[in-house]
Amino acid sequence: MDKTLAIKTNNLTKVYRSFFGRKKVLALNKLNIEIKVGEIFGLLGPNGSGKTTTMKLLLGLIFPTEGNAFLLGKATNDIKTKSRIGFLPEESCFYRFLNADETLDFYGQLFNIPKKERKVRADSLIKLVGLEFARKRPLRQYSKGMLRRIGIAQALINDPDLIILDEPTSGLDPIGTKETKDIISELKKQGKTVLLCSHLLSDVQDICDRIAILDKGTLQVSGTIDNLLSHKDLVEMQLRNLSDETVEELKSFITERDGEIVSIRHPSNTLENLFLKIVQERRKSTDSVTHSQ
Amino acid sequence: MHQTLVIAKQTFKESVRNKILYIFIAFGLVTIFCSAFMPAVSGEKIKIVESVCLRSITFFGMLAAILLASSSIPSDIEDKVLWTITTKPVSQYSFILGKVTGFVYIIGLLVLILGSASYALIKVVDSLQKDTEHQGLTARQMFEPAHLKITGKSAKKSGNIHWIEGEKGCASSWSFTGLESKNTSDKIVIESNMFVESRNNRKKTIPVNVKVVNHFTGESHRETVTVANKKPSFLRWSNETLGGGKNLTIVMTPQHSGDFLGIRPDSLRLFLGNKSFEYNFLKGLIVISAQFILMVVIATLGSTFFSLPVNILFCLFIFFCGNITDFMRDISTVITIAGAHEHDHEHGISAVVKKPSTFVTLLNSILTAPLTTLSYILPNFKKFNIGNYFIESINIPIKRIFASFVYMFLYIIFCLPISFIVFRKREFA
Ligand SMILES: Nc1ncnc2c1ncn2[C@@H]1O[C@H](COP(=O)(O)OP(=O)(O)OP(=O)(O)O)[C@@H](O)[C@H]1O
Ligand SMILES: [Mg+2]
Repeated sequence: MDKTLAIKTNNLTKVYRSFFGRKKVLALNKLNIEIKVGEIFGLLGPNGSGKTTTMKLLLGLIFPTEGNAFLLGKATNDIKTKSRIGFLPEESCFYRFLNADETLDFYGQLFNIPKKERKVRADSLIKLVGLEFARKRPLRQYSKGMLRRIGIAQALINDPDLIILDEPTSGLDPIGTKETKDIISELKKQGKTVLLCSHLLSDVQDICDRIAILDKGTLQVSGTIDNLLSHKDLVEMQLRNLSDETVEELKSFITERDGEIVSIRHPSNTLENLFLKIVQERRKSTDSVTHSQ
Repeated sequence: MHQTLVIAKQTFKESVRNKILYIFIAFGLVTIFCSAFMPAVSGEKIKIVESVCLRSITFFGMLAAILLASSSIPSDIEDKVLWTITTKPVSQYSFILGKVTGFVYIIGLLVLILGSASYALIKVVDSLQKDTEHQGLTARQMFEPAHLKITGKSAKKSGNIHWIEGEKGCASSWSFTGLESKNTSDKIVIESNMFVESRNNRKKTIPVNVKVVNHFTGESHRETVTVANKKPSFLRWSNETLGGGKNLTIVMTPQHSGDFLGIRPDSLRLFLGNKSFEYNFLKGLIVISAQFILMVVIATLGSTFFSLPVNILFCLFIFFCGNITDFMRDISTVITIAGAHEHDHEHGISAVVKKPSTFVTLLNSILTAPLTTLSYILPNFKKFNIGNYFIESINIPIKRIFASFVYMFLYIIFCLPISFIVFRKREFA
């Protein structure tokens, strides 16, 4: 088995059957992917394309109809490798009567982490996902985004080498999204492997090294973001302090040299950037107010 | 192992946080305390309290076992908590075993609380009764005959009853072994419960000669007692009859010819010495708890393939049937007898009889086998019924406890591996 591969699937296929064995759904069709150690891999696709199915197969929650998969060089049902894996499910599935601290403690115990270390890790993870203000509240009272955050914390409790995240940013506010992306990038810096799927393509574009696009259970394309997205024949420039005349001069200069101008426009801020700017400025000012009190 | 305990603790915590456990305990306590106010003839009051206490522990314990154990795993599956548990290094075995252990904790707590409350109440009611003619809380040590021998040719047997007649040279002789008592002032009490028939007149009682033989000392005592039909009669001897030995043989025969004594192996019981009530009560609670664990294991098996509502119904069904297995066996015998009966008359009466006859035989062949099989497969919860020991103030024999545990373990050995296999093969989509 190749040591540099964190995940490998061979013709992974899943057919869902109804109770009587009829009404088949081909959820995943002969998927072959290889994810290298240290990579952030994004799985994309429309609703019902088989992303969650792929993850469940990898984690042994469901069994493949055909083919097989290996995680960190071991078969998917290997109990020992599970201690090196973190998983954030699509839906938040926790004991609702526990609070954040107890939840992390419970999962920490399942990994047999000593009590002291559990406490330290839980503290730092709760801080990391920004739930300090609600750590004693039962999860029953959590909002959707808060559940997502505790889910991320839970997936990292064992300091895993391979992290599988099913729509980590769904339900999160833009700041949460940004923080989650930062967490994922940080994980990459630590040499961890991350497999994630998301519908927010900009997120995927920001953080993933490689992506695969699924549709109706079949792999459409896969490769590095740069390769898939770059237009080798186009050049984009952003310039400041230009007078209208200079712009006209530039235009004529370019056409003289046989260049083709595809578009010239004033770049608008993305809504995300605007939101982040406003909220962060506000937080800073309220923080300084509370500090000065 | 570690994971098993973590899951067990979690299961326990869940039932505490969901307040289900409190509700069962609260209802149990209420019924237990109500028993103190039930009207009763003064001397029997304590018996009523005892039996209500034991019944309410049984009832609420069983209800808790069924509802908690049958809902826990299915709701984990439904809430998808299993997605985050089985993707951790937790094997299916540890998960199921952990769940079962958790239920055992819960039931332990319930039995502990209801048991202590019952004990306290029984003690209080007992102390209030001290002034009246009341023997106090005790557990009489009971000995069942090791052996029954019927001698004489003219003894007849019908069913499991032996009939012996007086003056015809036949007798019944019971041997008791292992008789022992620390306290020398203890009396040997023999309780007989027999059938009586007399050809001479219509009287319901007959005189019976009783001989107590001690093979150790070679001594024997004779006495005549009056025995009534299906009513217990008692004989008392001092402890010294044993004379250092441990065995006694008791020979009984009617005094007159024409008088018949109908006996069964368990017609005679011997009491000698008392054990503490506390110890007996504890033993009673242990036997009662064994059936809860049995139910938990069945509920766990059910929850590996049924959904929550189906599993609760399944468990209630098992519990219901488990209390009427005797009845189910009876039904099948009734059908068989009815069928046989019709057959007898088949040729005698007209063809009209023939039709119901074939119908009955059909019914017989369709129902009898499944019913009988079912009655043997389903757990028989009567095996855990120890209420009578307390009504009669009898020490529960260790044999009885042992038997109920063996019975429980048989179900565990059968159910748990199947649960493991089903759960392993199951997809959590
Ligand atoms: N338990 C199930 N039983 C039957 N079919 C299922 C089951 N789970 C998923 N499917 C089917 O498998 C296909 C893939 O589903 P999957 O959940 O993998 O999609 P997805 O890519 O995660 O979609 P989304 O973006 O909505 O999360 C769908 O057609 C879905 O209907
Ligand atoms: Mg999905």
